[in-house]
Amino acid sequence: MNVFKKEMKANIKSLIIWCCAQVFIIFAGMMKYQGFADSQVDVNALFAAFPEEIMVVFGIGSVDITKVAGFYSVFFLYFMLLAAIHAVMFGAVVVSKEERDHCADFIYTKPVRRFQVISPKLLAGVINILIFNMVTFAASVFFIAQHNDGDGLIDKVSLTMLALFILQLFFLALGALFGSLLKNTKQATAAASGLVMGFFILSVAVDLYDKLSFLKIFTPFKYFEGATLMINDQLSFNSAAILLIVSLVFFGLTFVAFNRRDLST
Amino acid sequence: MNVIEINQLTKYYGKHRGIENVSFSVEEGEIFGFIGPNGAGKSTTIRALLSLIHPTSGSATIFGKDCIKYGNEIRRDIGYLPSEVFYYEHMKVREVLNYSASFYDNVDYTRIQSLAEVMDLDLNKRIDDLSYGNKKKVGIIQGLLHEPRLIILDEPTGGLDPLMQQKFFELIRMENQKGATVLFSSHILSEVQKLCSRVAIIKDGTIVRVENIRDMQKHNYKKFTLDYRGVIDVHHFNLEGVTNLTVDESTLHFLFKGDINRMVERLQGQNLINLLVEEPSLEEIFMHYYQKEDQP
Repeated sequence: MNVFKKEMKANIKSLIIWCCAQVFIIFAGMMKYQGFADSQVDVNALFAAFPEEIMVVFGIGSVDITKVAGFYSVFFLYFMLLAAIHAVMFGAVVVSKEERDHCADFIYTKPVRRFQVISPKLLAGVINILIFNMVTFAASVFFIAQHNDGDGLIDKVSLTMLALFILQLFFLALGALFGSLLKNTKQATAAASGLVMGFFILSVAVDLYDKLSFLKIFTPFKYFEGATLMINDQLSFNSAAILLIVSLVFFGLTFVAFNRRDLST
Repeated sequence: MNVIEINQLTKYYGKHRGIENVSFSVEEGEIFGFIGPNGAGKSTTIRALLSLIHPTSGSATIFGKDCIKYGNEIRRDIGYLPSEVFYYEHMKVREVLNYSASFYDNVDYTRIQSLAEVMDLDLNKRIDDLSYGNKKKVGIIQGLLHEPRLIILDEPTGGLDPLMQQKFFELIRMENQKGATVLFSSHILSEVQKLCSRVAIIKDGTIVRVENIRDMQKHNYKKFTLDYRGVIDVHHFNLEGVTNLTVDESTLHFLFKGDINRMVERLQGQNLINLLVEEPSLEEIFMHYYQKEDQP
């Protein structure tokens, strides 16, 4: 409990900053929607004139972005990216920070097993990503309602947030695994954020080139689609199951790797 | 009963040697010195005892239990002061100590206050505002807070001023009289001689020998530096016990081992500007004592 509390306290500031950034993105994004809606321009026709590649990179696929659900579904890509970076960094740092700060000698000479230190740290991670998720949810419903005659699309947004949370869990586990395997925090965060970028580039490549579509199982960013969630109200069970199982495996490996680790001063 | 028993403990970091076949044991109630030059493997041994690192081969037990397997149980009764003290920098001293105490059952929290008073430490300061010596004090209190049965000190006196060192030694002696066993690692021979009853000497990752401190005192070297006003009579110091005699312009250096009165007699009538009698560094002692005696 003491480790959990300490970790929550240590991360509260950064969590607030992440949440504020997220709220601002949703606020600013929905403002743009208002701009589209007011302008009377046929936005779909306008975007149809853009090269497809550009639309794909910005996550604007074939959805009708003049409808609020369609417009909001485009956000999902950015949510995924932000949430992934937040979660993966949290995971990588939380398990390795004592060594980075040279206080591993302090905590790991206490009368506890290593998993008793790592578990509350990871629990703090889960709570942090959950708060981030809830804030995203609340801000989304609030700002959608502002532009949709008071209807916040709670059901659709809830489903989207569930998908987002599963992704967050996956990235938290991935970060933790890097943190326990690699030599120090720097290497772990570099590798983790590099991999997130890699996943993202792969997801764009898959969208651009049909021939590469078989690669989409290798990037978690293709496991859920904003449009499917927001418009068709569907969350792929297979995707959810795979991500959850892989996350569990990663968490398990984190414990094993960390237990075997020679801690540096 | 042996509180610590180390058996052929070996640690390699990849191909890099940490320690090799280290064996010694520490009896209950003694203050045991662990001495060797920097980089000899003292910290590696200690970190293996605390299961911060995993030995390549060999084993160690504390309170009769395997260090790695029962590490968490064993550590309940260990107080450890690392050689480099670092704590969560943004926390206050009191917060760090409370956090530390929260890991143990039945901690007497009033001890934080009383130990801080003895060590003259302000509990309301933030860790990152503390000097190195004051951080060391936090480490000392943190290590003694839960009244451990075994105290492991890794180069504890660095950064403490002489007065604090004195207080610290008193504190350790007091804990020892209350029954705590102490493993005291250092590269300064004199402080180990002051405090310890037995000592293990480590060099290049292997134990050179384990000795009683009394036997060691027979090898009590002093380092002499004599500044002459006039011409140096080198042959004047050609007596038993003098080694490593060197002349550097008007300065004479040598190491002396033996009856100090004989040396005082010899010094009479010498025309000196200055005289310095020092504790030789451990390296110097190794060079003139252990290396020679260990070579066949």
